[in-house]
Amino acid sequence: MRDDVSDATRRASPIDTAGNAVIAKAHAAGRQRRFGQISIEVRRSASFPLRLFALAAALVTGLGLSAFALILVGVPAESLADEFVSATILDPMNFKAVLVQAAPLILVGLAAAMAFRVRFWNLGIEGQMIFGGVGATLVSLLHLGPEWARLPLMGLAAVTCGALWASIPALLKLRLSVNEIISTLLLNYVAYYVLLHLLYGAWKDEDGFPHSPAYAASELLPNLDSGVSVSLVLAGGMTLLMTYLVARSRAGFYMRFVSANPGVARALGLPVANMVLFVVLVSGSLAALAGFVVSSGQEGRLTQSFFPGYGVSGVLIGFLARNNPVAAAVVALLMSVLVIAGQNLQVFYGIPPSMVQLIQAVVVMSVAASDFLVIHRVHWIRYRA
Amino acid sequence: MTTFFVTWLATIPQLAVPYALAALGLILSERAGVLNLTAEGLMLVGALASVAVLLTFRPDPLVAMMAGMLAAAAVSVLFSFLVIVLRVNQVIAGLVIVFFCQGLTSLLGNLFGWTSKAFSGLGPVSLGVLADIPVIGPILFRQDVIVYLMIPIVFGVSYLLQRTRLGLRLRAVGESPEAADAMGVSVSMTRFLAVTAGSALVGLAGAYIAVANVKVWIDDMTSGRGWIAIALVIFARWNPWRAAAGALLFGSIQAVIPKLAAAGIVLPQYLLMTTPYLATLGVMIWVSIRHLNGPSDEPGALGQPYVREERR
Amino acid sequence: MTHSLLELERVSKAFDGFQALDGASFSAAAGEIHALLGENGAGKSTLMNICCGLYTPDSGSLRLAGRETRLSGPREAAALGIGMVHQHFKLVRPFSILDNVLLSRLGSGDRIASAKGERLAMRAAIHEQAAALGGTLDPDARIDSLSIAEQQRVEVIKALIAGARILILDEPTAVLTDQEAEKLMLTLRRLASSGTTVVLVTHKLMDVKRFADRVTILRGGRTVGSIDPKGTALEELTRLTVGETLPTVRETQPVFGRRRLETLGLSVRRADGTKAVDAVSFHVRAGEIYAIAGVSGNGQSELTEVLMGLRRAGSGSVQFEDAGEAVTAADPARLRRYGVAFIPADRYRYALAGGLSVAENYGVGDVARGRYGSWLWLRRGRLRKNAEEALSSFDVQGVRALSQKAALLSGGNAQKLVIAREFSDPPSIIVAQSPSRGLDARATAAVHARLQASARNGAAVLLVSEDLDEAMKLAHRIGVMAGGKLVGEFTAPFDRQQIGGAMVGHA
Repeated sequence: MRDDVSDATRRASPIDTAGNAVIAKAHAAGRQRRFGQISIEVRRSASFPLRLFALAAALVTGLGLSAFALILVGVPAESLADEFVSATILDPMNFKAVLVQAAPLILVGLAAAMAFRVRFWNLGIEGQMIFGGVGATLVSLLHLGPEWARLPLMGLAAVTCGALWASIPALLKLRLSVNEIISTLLLNYVAYYVLLHLLYGAWKDEDGFPHSPAYAASELLPNLDSGVSVSLVLAGGMTLLMTYLVARSRAGFYMRFVSANPGVARALGLPVANMVLFVVLVSGSLAALAGFVVSSGQEGRLTQSFFPGYGVSGVLIGFLARNNPVAAAVVALLMSVLVIAGQNLQVFYGIPPSMVQLIQAVVVMSVAASDFLVIHRVHWIRYRA
Repeated sequence: MTTFFVTWLATIPQLAVPYALAALGLILSERAGVLNLTAEGLMLVGALASVAVLLTFRPDPLVAMMAGMLAAAAVSVLFSFLVIVLRVNQVIAGLVIVFFCQGLTSLLGNLFGWTSKAFSGLGPVSLGVLADIPVIGPILFRQDVIVYLMIPIVFGVSYLLQRTRLGLRLRAVGESPEAADAMGVSVSMTRFLAVTAGSALVGLAGAYIAVANVKVWIDDMTSGRGWIAIALVIFARWNPWRAAAGALLFGSIQAVIPKLAAAGIVLPQYLLMTTPYLATLGVMIWVSIRHLNGPSDEPGALGQPYVREERR
Repeated sequence: MTHSLLELERVSKAFDGFQALDGASFSAAAGEIHALLGENGAGKSTLMNICCGLYTPDSGSLRLAGRETRLSGPREAAALGIGMVHQHFKLVRPFSILDNVLLSRLGSGDRIASAKGERLAMRAAIHEQAAALGGTLDPDARIDSLSIAEQQRVEVIKALIAGARILILDEPTAVLTDQEAEKLMLTLRRLASSGTTVVLVTHKLMDVKRFADRVTILRGGRTVGSIDPKGTALEELTRLTVGETLPTVRETQPVFGRRRLETLGLSVRRADGTKAVDAVSFHVRAGEIYAIAGVSGNGQSELTEVLMGLRRAGSGSVQFEDAGEAVTAADPARLRRYGVAFIPADRYRYALAGGLSVAENYGVGDVARGRYGSWLWLRRGRLRKNAEEALSSFDVQGVRALSQKAALLSGGNAQKLVIAREFSDPPSIIVAQSPSRGLDARATAAVHARLQASARNGAAVLLVSEDLDEAMKLAHRIGVMAGGKLVGEFTAPFDRQQIGGAMVGHA
């Protein structure tokens, strides 16, 4: 190197006067001893086998960690498979419980999946469930309509209340761009205290406990002749309806654009705001139906604890199902197996119900983490010897 | 009437502390560009850890609260790993962490029997003569150590962000990670430090609720204060002093509810409980209306994962 | 000739299957201005990002002053005296100049405490460097209050303060007026003569001819040659860059029809209350191509957004022939009913959802027009069939399946897809914003031919372009925007000097 270069550098930069010295220093620092380095890039597309592999790896990891935790809290390792598979799916009693439990989980999973399709973080599923239950109970308390129409009316009232409650954060977001993550969560607490206000006040049962009077027989969701609850049929019907909406209607086509890129959708003249409002109302209605299904299909009255946990479960189901309605139903069914297994574990081993929550969280974390492999390409760049 | 105001005002600082601490912690993380929804969960972790240490080893309450900070910081490493290294969607990761923490704390509290066990906790320290000044004394000078420490803490966070090289680096990473990266700032490391330090403060907020406010551990005892703190950060436009002011506002709303009942004013009890949440929502709406036609001071890269070798 | 200061040998780099560099070599000597010439996508930026430590090469070597070097990142590159001015400036916009300079120095000696002394030193250094480059800069000015040319100067100063002996500038003249570019080049010449190596990444042949001592040409990720531009004919440079020369189409003077699009005193205010667009009036007639020229950031994007229905005009009005009335704000859906088509520069921001399929992106306009069934049922089979036909008639290549994501298309093909959609219902008004930005010569020619053809067929074309060559080649009339105002209107044949003068306010 010519000497005048370092001289010139000195003139050009008053601060760093190191010329070749810098290079020499860096070289001396032993930088050359490394063998290579990791490079991370965003993939242009991921193949199906890769996606499948990532998902499988995630499930194995998540369930493995969960099994480890269960063993740690005292479940014998050899009976794990028994508790989760044989005792839930193969045992007729428990299998029925799984199906009963699945209905509201499917509905909240659909509620989350639909809202996510228009980039609306609906974390207010529990609040919407509460208002669904409140709406249904209102019809029951007022004895509205003839007996044969009572259940449909209750469902309708539930949907109306849930959709109205969901419209608050939707309008706040669309009109004033109030962040819906916070507003929906805050409204959950408001809904909860409104519920308590009713249950400790005007709607308190004659027995003095803070729950509503029991529903009449005509207000309970019946079982079909085959033993399958109407709740499950309702949830299945909603799954099909949402699949149609998403895959075959023009609204579904628009939703894809709103979800992929709201700015582009707006520039293309698609009715973005109306789509968001419509889908959030649908989401709120689905959550409200879940509240109705739990109240009328399981509890038989409005209680103060029919909803906790469904909100997050719904969000997690929606996420795991990648916002696909059919997948949401499948994941909800599996989640239901987990819940029932958890109940069995509580009975036989005294494992607290929060263990189920923990397992859900761990599995979802694993799946979310596995996306890294799907989205990115990681490779090791080796230096030449 | 004077006693009503004095007792009300005297309880405000300790109810404001958790909001202020959590909001400061979130500001650190969000100014570095990491949208942190984990507060509700990390506060629970901080609360349970401090209660666990307090019940097990019976140390000074301040030591127990340090344990809470450490525990929350430790759990936040999991969050950092998910969002900084694996670039998981920050909303999903935050929610899952909250869910995870709710499950974990409930499970551990249950298994080890820490639930609903009362303890003496952190008490007030009267500042000598000052505490005897009528009206002002009880309000300002009969508080606990953390209340007194809040001023230096807020000042410290503000100083760190605005006046130090680390703060410059942190804000750069939150505003424009590409630029910071090209200038040789390690985006991942800076974000990691910011999230960890911030989470320690959030953990302290939770520990304070358990050790100084409620003095007992019960499941989900933070009851939404983490979410309110997140709203508070937006309200404060990511500024520590404004966050402290907002915390006082929320503290006073929370403090007034039981005082009203004690003063014999009959109001629908449960509807009254909605006021903190409705007030938060009101504040969010107010902020949004104000910002419809102007900047919100939101960090430019908030919520966006950073990958250097991205190509479209 | 002494041996090289910066040398890259047989460097390759792939991005998930896309081979950006395929054994490219480059070498620059101290004290020269060395141009790196190539079309968009030739690999110029990738090669230089490797030099400045942002990317790691898959293979090949980098030598600095004859010594083989591996860069762990930008920090190490800076420490070794390599500074880069990126095309998109790497500046933190809400920070002051001083803070940006301090930030770039954090690599050396990390201390948590503020170093008052260093602030003072840097303040002085900024003043000194700015003066050395022939100008002044206020160290406390926020980046977002500076003009593009000033921001570029900050980048250069930042690199020099960090001790750069090799200064790489990626497409520095793309955002400057002719006059500003001239000034920048004088600055660079001064730096070179004091020993700094300047690498000028560009796709403009004129830059090379006018300013470079030497030029290395890249094509398709490979080095085609390294020559002295002074002794090489323009045609030869073109041939080396593009591979073959493209024929140019000459237009005959057309007859224009009625006014299809007209703005009257249109004004748009920014958030801070200043006027981005200030009382702009012009009209475009059927069969005419009207270009809005100007340096970027002079109100063109705000004007375009109003015409796209994405922004409300503060005052004044826009008249669309098919609307029958003057409107101040029309949402995009209404504009489409007036027969307006858009070809934006930022395709993935305004026109294509990259994550959705080619077929969906093609069909979305017609779905909204109800051409593929009612709200209740979407006729997907028919959509796919039409999409297939349109893709072949608009020569969109690189589509392996209709379900392929639009993001996987190259820039040129993505733009052709946009045009295929926008022209599926022949538009009466076309608003095109820098429609060839980021495209290679072939795709640019195709886009231009489409615009010219629709003008011949009677459409009114508004071309908003920062590329004066493009405007002069296509337009029948050119309006020049500066500071939000329409400062001059010119009719073909154009005088480049005159228009350039209007752009910087010497009209």
